Amino acid sequence: MEILIETFRSLIANKTRTFLSMLGIIIGVMAMIAVVSIGEGSTRSITDQVSSLGSNVIMITPGFSGGSGGRSVTALSDILNVNDAQNIQELCPDVKSVSPLLQGNYSVSNDGNNANATVFAGNDKLMEILDLQLGSGRYLTGTDESEYAKNAIIGASIAENIFEDTNPIGKSILVTYSVGKNRVAIPFKIIGVLKQTGSKLMYNPDKMLIIPFSTAQARIFHNYGTISTILVSAKNSEVSASAKAQIQHLLYNKFEDEKKFSITSQDEILGTLSGITSVLNLFLGAIAGISLLVGGIGIMNIMLVSVSERTREIGIKKAIGATRRRILLEFLVESILITLIAGAIGILFGIGVSKIVEQIGKQYNLVPIVSWQSITIAFGFATMIGLFFGIYPASKASKLSPVEALRYE
Amino acid sequence: MDDFVFEFKDIWKIYDMGEVKVNALRGLDLKIKRGHYVVIMGPSGSGKSTFLQIMGCLDKPSRGEVHIDGINTSHMDETKLAAIRNKKIGFVFQSFNLLPKLSAQENCALPLVYSGIPRKKRMAVAKELLTRVGLGERIHHRPNQLSGGQQQRVAIARALTNDPPVVLADEPTGNLDSTSSVEILKILKDLHREGKTVIVVTHDPEIVNEGDTVVWIKDGMVEKVEVK
Repeated sequence: MEILIETFRSLIANKTRTFLSMLGIIIGVMAMIAVVSIGEGSTRSITDQVSSLGSNVIMITPGFSGGSGGRSVTALSDILNVNDAQNIQELCPDVKSVSPLLQGNYSVSNDGNNANATVFAGNDKLMEILDLQLGSGRYLTGTDESEYAKNAIIGASIAENIFEDTNPIGKSILVTYSVGKNRVAIPFKIIGVLKQTGSKLMYNPDKMLIIPFSTAQARIFHNYGTISTILVSAKNSEVSASAKAQIQHLLYNKFEDEKKFSITSQDEILGTLSGITSVLNLFLGAIAGISLLVGGIGIMNIMLVSVSERTREIGIKKAIGATRRRILLEFLVESILITLIAGAIGILFGIGVSKIVEQIGKQYNLVPIVSWQSITIAFGFATMIGLFFGIYPASKASKLSPVEALRYE
Repeated sequence: MDDFVFEFKDIWKIYDMGEVKVNALRGLDLKIKRGHYVVIMGPSGSGKSTFLQIMGCLDKPSRGEVHIDGINTSHMDETKLAAIRNKKIGFVFQSFNLLPKLSAQENCALPLVYSGIPRKKRMAVAKELLTRVGLGERIHHRPNQLSGGQQQRVAIARALTNDPPVVLADEPTGNLDSTSSVEILKILKDLHREGKTVIVVTHDPEIVNEGDTVVWIKDGMVEKVEVK
């Protein structure tokens, strides 16, 4: 305790030196906390984005053909069709809903106002699978599907761009595409508008135009039963894997080649992405750790300088009865105290940086998360570094011979 | 039997300077009685400083036995020697050797820190001793706010804090003007009168008359002992 007070006083007496030796640790701890919290924040943001893709979604897409012997890789077409979707719905017990999906970008317009929309065509389960909410109006129903109804639900920014302040429900919207040199425009009646969500990982609901699958097939895509994607939702997250296995089994029976189709579940996307982010976080954390290490070496430098500066003082103290242990302790306490104070300042700065990033990152859904773990780890690491790099100078000081030390000018 | 505070038996100190070995002390024998005022004289290079370091337990002899206050210190480790320096010997240096960042009182109390005395008690002892050497008004001054003579008085007070049997002074007036020198020598004399063993190492002939015993050192040995 005595040593602590005495050391504290000498640190205050040497403000500049103390500050300089602290700087490395301050920056190191700050970087570590900021990096880890931003990393955790971005992991959280990615997780959120993936889970906002829908509820327990499984995507089935055609596989690729060729690729070996100089042939180019092409996505197989004409593989999946509406019957497959039907079979999955009927034969896989862990599957809740299934929708075929046709998707394409088209120009949409009303009364001279244009916008580019992503047309999503599916059955009445599509919005449930993708977890899309209506802002106003009604959902597409089985009747829309069976009657080839030219009804559409539009995304929030389409509504805003084309209809501005007026209510789009009940109004008509033209979907335009070209066949050869002719342009074809199909009018749809707007029955609903989606809630604004912002862009998601793989699509942007705000720019969507959702129409019945039957209508899309007959009027726009002319694809006669083949589809590019089947969207499936599992009954719950526990059975997601078994649902996937059931689909796999079903499709393998049909194609007898597992390369002809691919099945991706939300969990797998999440797994892949969080694998990437955790590697990134580890990498950045390691860099911050290295800067902490450099800070520790800085402390060792200053302490070594301080030992030679205070050689005479050490000699005097030894001459009047200070033991080696005592001198060792004095220097060790000093370096640990420096790191502790610097660590505390670093934590405050780190939290500060996270707050600043939070302000900037809001628009990208990035909210840094300062966790107790990151604070504890950074602080603990800093303390260990203080101890580790304090030992050498302290032991050097304690081993000085009193005769030599007293003679030192 | 006489009561000796120091006994040196056949002390050798050999410095190994690589190819050359320097014999600083060559079989020095000396006994110092308790309560005496001893002046140790010798020209530079006589081994006087080396002898002082061994007396003060700052260094160990290469050969020979040292007894301090009846304790054989020849085989002690560094920690035990530190305790001897702390309890048995009060050091006064030519260049005062005060810690510049501490006040007179804190400097004076420092040896008590190393004997584990609580702060309050330390400060009280230091204040009393500083008052005794006439610095009662200046206990909160830093060394650079004090004159040389005053600094040396702080150093003497520091030497006395653990009430050691021996006060060992190395050229205590070497850095002082004549007025201050007289003051310091008077304090040392007073200590002697109060029963302390005072040992002054010097090459200043004027101090010779202060002591009741004069030891002449030459070529690493005792040349003669003169008892008055």
